[in-house]
Amino acid sequence: MLLASMLCAWTPADTTTTLQEVSVSGQRRHDTQMRMSQTNVAVSQKYLHEHFAGSLMQTLEDIPGVKAMAIGSGQSKPVIRGLGFNRLVVTEDGVKHEGQQWGDDHGLEIDQFAIDRAEVVKGPAALLYGSDAIGGVLNLFTNHVPMEGVGGSVQLFGRTNNEQAGVSAKVGGRKDKFFYRANVTLIDYADYRVPADSIQYYSYWVRLKDGRLRNTAGREHDGSFMLGYAGYNFHSDLRVSDSYSRSGFFADAHGLEVRLSDIDYDASRRDIDLPYQWVNHLKVLSHTSWRNDVVATELNLAYQNNLREEHSEPVSHGYMPTPDGTRERRFNKHTATANAMVRYERGRNTLQGGLCGEWQHNRSGGWGFILPDFETGSAGLYAMDRFEVRPGLILNAGLRYDMARTHIHAYSDWYATPTANGPQHLQRSSEQRRTFHALTWSAGVNWTRGNWLVKANAGKSFRMPIAKELGADGVNYHIFRYERGNSSLDPEEAYQLDATVSWHHGPLTAELSPYVSYFPNYIFLNPTAEYVEGLQLYHYTQTRVLRWGVEAQLAYRFARHWEATAQGEYLYASQRSGQKRGYTLPFSPPWSADAGLRYTYDWRGDGFVALTAHIVGRQDQIVPPEKPTDGHWTLNLAAGKKFPLGSKMLNITLHADNLLNRRYYDHTSYYRLIDVPEPGINVAAMVGLEF
Amino acid sequence: MKKTISIAVVLTALLACGSDDETKDMTYPVISGEGVTENPVDCQTYRRGDVLPVCFAFTDDTELGNYNIEVHSNHDHHSHSTSATECEEDHDHEHADAVNPWVFNQDYAIPAGLRAYTATHEIAIPSDIDPGDYHFMVRLTDRAGWQSLKAVAIRIE
Repeated sequence: MLLASMLCAWTPADTTTTLQEVSVSGQRRHDTQMRMSQTNVAVSQKYLHEHFAGSLMQTLEDIPGVKAMAIGSGQSKPVIRGLGFNRLVVTEDGVKHEGQQWGDDHGLEIDQFAIDRAEVVKGPAALLYGSDAIGGVLNLFTNHVPMEGVGGSVQLFGRTNNEQAGVSAKVGGRKDKFFYRANVTLIDYADYRVPADSIQYYSYWVRLKDGRLRNTAGREHDGSFMLGYAGYNFHSDLRVSDSYSRSGFFADAHGLEVRLSDIDYDASRRDIDLPYQWVNHLKVLSHTSWRNDVVATELNLAYQNNLREEHSEPVSHGYMPTPDGTRERRFNKHTATANAMVRYERGRNTLQGGLCGEWQHNRSGGWGFILPDFETGSAGLYAMDRFEVRPGLILNAGLRYDMARTHIHAYSDWYATPTANGPQHLQRSSEQRRTFHALTWSAGVNWTRGNWLVKANAGKSFRMPIAKELGADGVNYHIFRYERGNSSLDPEEAYQLDATVSWHHGPLTAELSPYVSYFPNYIFLNPTAEYVEGLQLYHYTQTRVLRWGVEAQLAYRFARHWEATAQGEYLYASQRSGQKRGYTLPFSPPWSADAGLRYTYDWRGDGFVALTAHIVGRQDQIVPPEKPTDGHWTLNLAAGKKFPLGSKMLNITLHADNLLNRRYYDHTSYYRLIDVPEPGINVAAMVGLEF
Repeated sequence: MKKTISIAVVLTALLACGSDDETKDMTYPVISGEGVTENPVDCQTYRRGDVLPVCFAFTDDTELGNYNIEVHSNHDHHSHSTSATECEEDHDHEHADAVNPWVFNQDYAIPAGLRAYTATHEIAIPSDIDPGDYHFMVRLTDRAGWQSLKAVAIRIE
């Protein structure tokens, strides 16, 4: 929705500065580390393949500070240092990916098998990315220029928990300076399975058949096509992609009223009955750059259309009569984005400036209301300098200004409610026009000498309030509560300080990344003591929040084939004002630690086997309506092997989670709120052929 | 200037860390029959056109919030985790027979500052509703936003 997503990231056309392993030491890692003063991790395609855990987010979860927040139906969304949804930015080829704002219950809307590589930026990145880049940025790249001739790959993959099966095919080629790429992915999965025979939802007992969450099956179809020209100075490409998914909602924990349906959900575990949603994301992206030894310019133009519908059985509720048809909600959002960047190198200075604009248009439909119609226009302007004081010491500083205007439309019920003045169509959302301004800045240092590398960054980041926060007024069926927006919200601001200290000596690498952040006006959905239409009222408010935390990593290579790793993370969050003063923020991750052992070998092709113990602490820091969550530990196995077949390469990857089939809860999962435990033993496998 | 702000951030952070000792309400409010004659209770039968007397005791260690009373049809025979008792089900009036089920849904306020409160109401049962199994629900919040639920299975004849 809304606002603001201005993003002016400058992204080089794929420079292939990739890492073999997240834990690897060496020059490439060093180069990546020196590129920015924020904590960043580059993730190569090789890493994505070898650590394939069923979905992109689950694959990235091995990175300290990064989590996949389960939002239902086996889908997950990225969380960096405890902040997710609209507090982090996901980009694809340098353009902000829209799709976070409508609801918490749909996935990333990205073909994760089209991704060549990824980069995680932890901490504030407002300077380059504008609104929302508070927790961090997940940069995804699909714009690798193929080699001369024709190449491609076919991947078959599956997962045992929800009996997921999928296929993805890629083809790409280059003739002189022209290139093309195409990609198609098909995924189908059955109902999600958990080690429980019953769960409790809003005081209702739900008995599960074979431990399956009824009606959580789904499917996904993705496709993309890219045409480009890659010259020595000039590069231009155009990419069209579409991502479609259709998935059922957990039938026992959804709807206006908890009720038993006449639908026989247990008839099939692969069918999608009501209630369900479908989501389509169409994206057209154009990327053009020109550079010489001194100046580089870049222009990104993008159009995105998010279309989403939720369907459920029509039932009367309160004074609402039984509606016609099953279409409960429909959102149709258009987003147009334009970013221009120029970079100029002069002596030891690299100056960079950017201008970006964005326009969004949303229309809602269906008989249920939670989100008003809106239009939003935004613009941002930034300038920064990177100054190399001497080899091994770089300073950077920058300033940015953003402005956004949003127009939220009024909404009245389509049915009449009896009042003292006779039947009336009650107004749910009033017309609002708001203008927001934000001035942000960032400054940092990178320093390296011998075995040491230190970087530190201080910055202010911000987030424009979204339409849901300003104008929502309705029932959230997935959590069974009444949510009300607040038209007087200001842009959320955050001051952050973070640092990374890394040291490597021969086979030993150590890294420590502490951070602290302060929000003068964090936008918090506060559970109040009030009732509206029989449901507890949750109201958007702003409170002061303090957060700090640390991530640590240690890797040791020994006896040529072995590597031992240890890593951990801790996060503390506290509200410092308002009704929930002293409480933490929702879904605060507990401390966690990993210890792993990895054996790599080369016998007719590379291969590896890795065993990891994942230990998670108890979380007592909670805020209503959460419950404390016990600690747990799981044992996970990963293995991979390459088989050269002439000029082709066959890859097999296996990932087995929760080998000991332990039953546990994940405090940061939406399912925690309704007492749904995490899956038992879950094996994901992928077979790929590269040609 | 940036340095000044960074220092301010760190100082604020340190100060804020040092003062994390306020008492938070981490306890749910309680719905009970303590000191009162709790009503309704599981497996009672009422008549259409009669009055349903309601009486519950609410307590909280800090401060009570508000409450809601709701009655909905249980012709589909679902069950609530807050109810330990299993009543005999009325199979003469099943889900498919429901034409005009009773729906009652009312929010009530509790005066501010109370740690104990007795809710008493007399709810008129409409005479034109479907007979059969119903659930009587009480929802109670405390000032901090913790919510407790209680479900009672009753039958209307």
